[in-house]
Amino acid sequence: MAVPQQLKNAFLPNRAVDRAMVLGLVAFWVALAFLAWLAVPFETLPRPGEVWHALGSLWWEHGMGPELFTTIRLILHALLLTVLISLALSYATVIPFFRPVVEAVSKLRFLGLTGLVVPFTLFTGGGYDLKVAMLTFGMTSFFVTSMAQAVIEIPREQFDHMRVLGASEGRILWEVVIRGTLDKALEVMRQNLAIGWALITMVEGISRAEGGLGAMILNQNKHFKLAEVYAILLVILVVGLILDYAVGVITRVLCPYVAMERVRR
Amino acid sequence: MTDSFGETLLEVREVSERLGNNQILEKLSFEVRDRIRPGKVTGQLVGLLGPSGVGKTRLLRLIAGLDKPDTGVILGQKSQPMAAGTVGLIFQNYVLLRHRTVMGNLVTAGVANGMGRGESKDKASHLLERFGLADRGSFYPAQLSGGQRQRVAIAQQLVHNKSLLLMDEPFSGLDPIALEEVIKLVTEVAHMQELNTIIIVTHDIRAAMLVSDTLLMLGRDRTPEGKVIPGARIQHSYDMVERGMAWRDNLELDPKFPAMEREIVERFRQL
Repeated sequence: MAVPQQLKNAFLPNRAVDRAMVLGLVAFWVALAFLAWLAVPFETLPRPGEVWHALGSLWWEHGMGPELFTTIRLILHALLLTVLISLALSYATVIPFFRPVVEAVSKLRFLGLTGLVVPFTLFTGGGYDLKVAMLTFGMTSFFVTSMAQAVIEIPREQFDHMRVLGASEGRILWEVVIRGTLDKALEVMRQNLAIGWALITMVEGISRAEGGLGAMILNQNKHFKLAEVYAILLVILVVGLILDYAVGVITRVLCPYVAMERVRR
Repeated sequence: MTDSFGETLLEVREVSERLGNNQILEKLSFEVRDRIRPGKVTGQLVGLLGPSGVGKTRLLRLIAGLDKPDTGVILGQKSQPMAAGTVGLIFQNYVLLRHRTVMGNLVTAGVANGMGRGESKDKASHLLERFGLADRGSFYPAQLSGGQRQRVAIAQQLVHNKSLLLMDEPFSGLDPIALEEVIKLVTEVAHMQELNTIIIVTHDIRAAMLVSDTLLMLGRDRTPEGKVIPGARIQHSYDMVERGMAWRDNLELDPKFPAMEREIVERFRQL
């Protein structure tokens, strides 16, 4: 029996596969993961049915919807601040005076958030502002690192090209640095959204009174309700993927040239 | 009436340039004057030949006003100093703004140079039409072929009537048909206006001969023992018009062409 070429390609290195095959491969691996979950022998690991039941209970009886809203509002607020601060710092790398500051902020990514709770509490007074500040701090140091690198890597020819056209340095900043790296800024934002989303449990745990999925998961964990814990993790994963997809759509709309430049393997 | 020379359009006088401990250019001088042909609009096409690494691109950057020479002066029409933005420079890899469409690239060039948006758009449309790119206005650079990209890069420099255009290796990597088309295009652009001057940096001797009315050979001096002395300057120049080797079709069919090509190749070896 002849094996379809697309199926052959799926098992050969450096081959392209069509969309239908990509979807087929995704479905295969999801099904395999699900079967592996069913087959896991550990009693402490809740079964899919238990997680599904816990999810319904959390959503309808324990107010998971408002908690999710609280978390999304927090992360979007922090993301907005992160983008504004990080882009301003990254674009400032074109001015030598600011480079040491940008370099210093970038190095702060090696600091853990836990030890910074006290100073941040003193600065913000605690509560929602503390969580926004912690999350913003956590994301900014990574955002600045990636974005400043993207700005530094702009080829000199791009600047010279605009100078030859007679552009002012301000216009060059706009065209080459800001507009020219918009796609990279969106990609970095996408990565940082994931970083922020991963930090959410820790940050919301600092001040549980305000709720949020992070606080919810810690409370469930304390009572060893593992099905509930996994149900919340599942929601975090799905919402994270939706946010990630949304940024991808924004990139495709604002920067259609990126898809044209991408070499399809 | 015979052909003659008019005003000086570009004067490079005693230019020296050093990069670290490396002397790149040493007291380099040449000038480009308006070639006048009665009854014909005639621009200037100068081929700048030289081996790799001799400082050709460095010289282009100085003429374009992107860098300042350590010593010496570079003057344009009416002995005006050259400033960035007054000279067109087409980079070897045809740099364009990747986030703008073809039309957007051309309009940005006009606006950057102080033209109004409407005026820039009109000029851009006219240039796209002239360069056979009218249907590519909404395309992004990533959607263009190498040849189309080159034409857009040239058109972009012409939005703001620049009479001096510098081209860095425009013939590299072209097949014979594409080469013929580029030579045709460059010649057409040069002869659009009397004072138009195009300086083409290349190491493709044959292509340079086919397109130029003047050939300049950039190279370094050597000691009697054959050791290279740092710092390039113009070693030889050829007036192709005087030799009857310019402004003609099918130049390569002229029996004198191969002989001259051999002569230039022989000189090139010494650079």
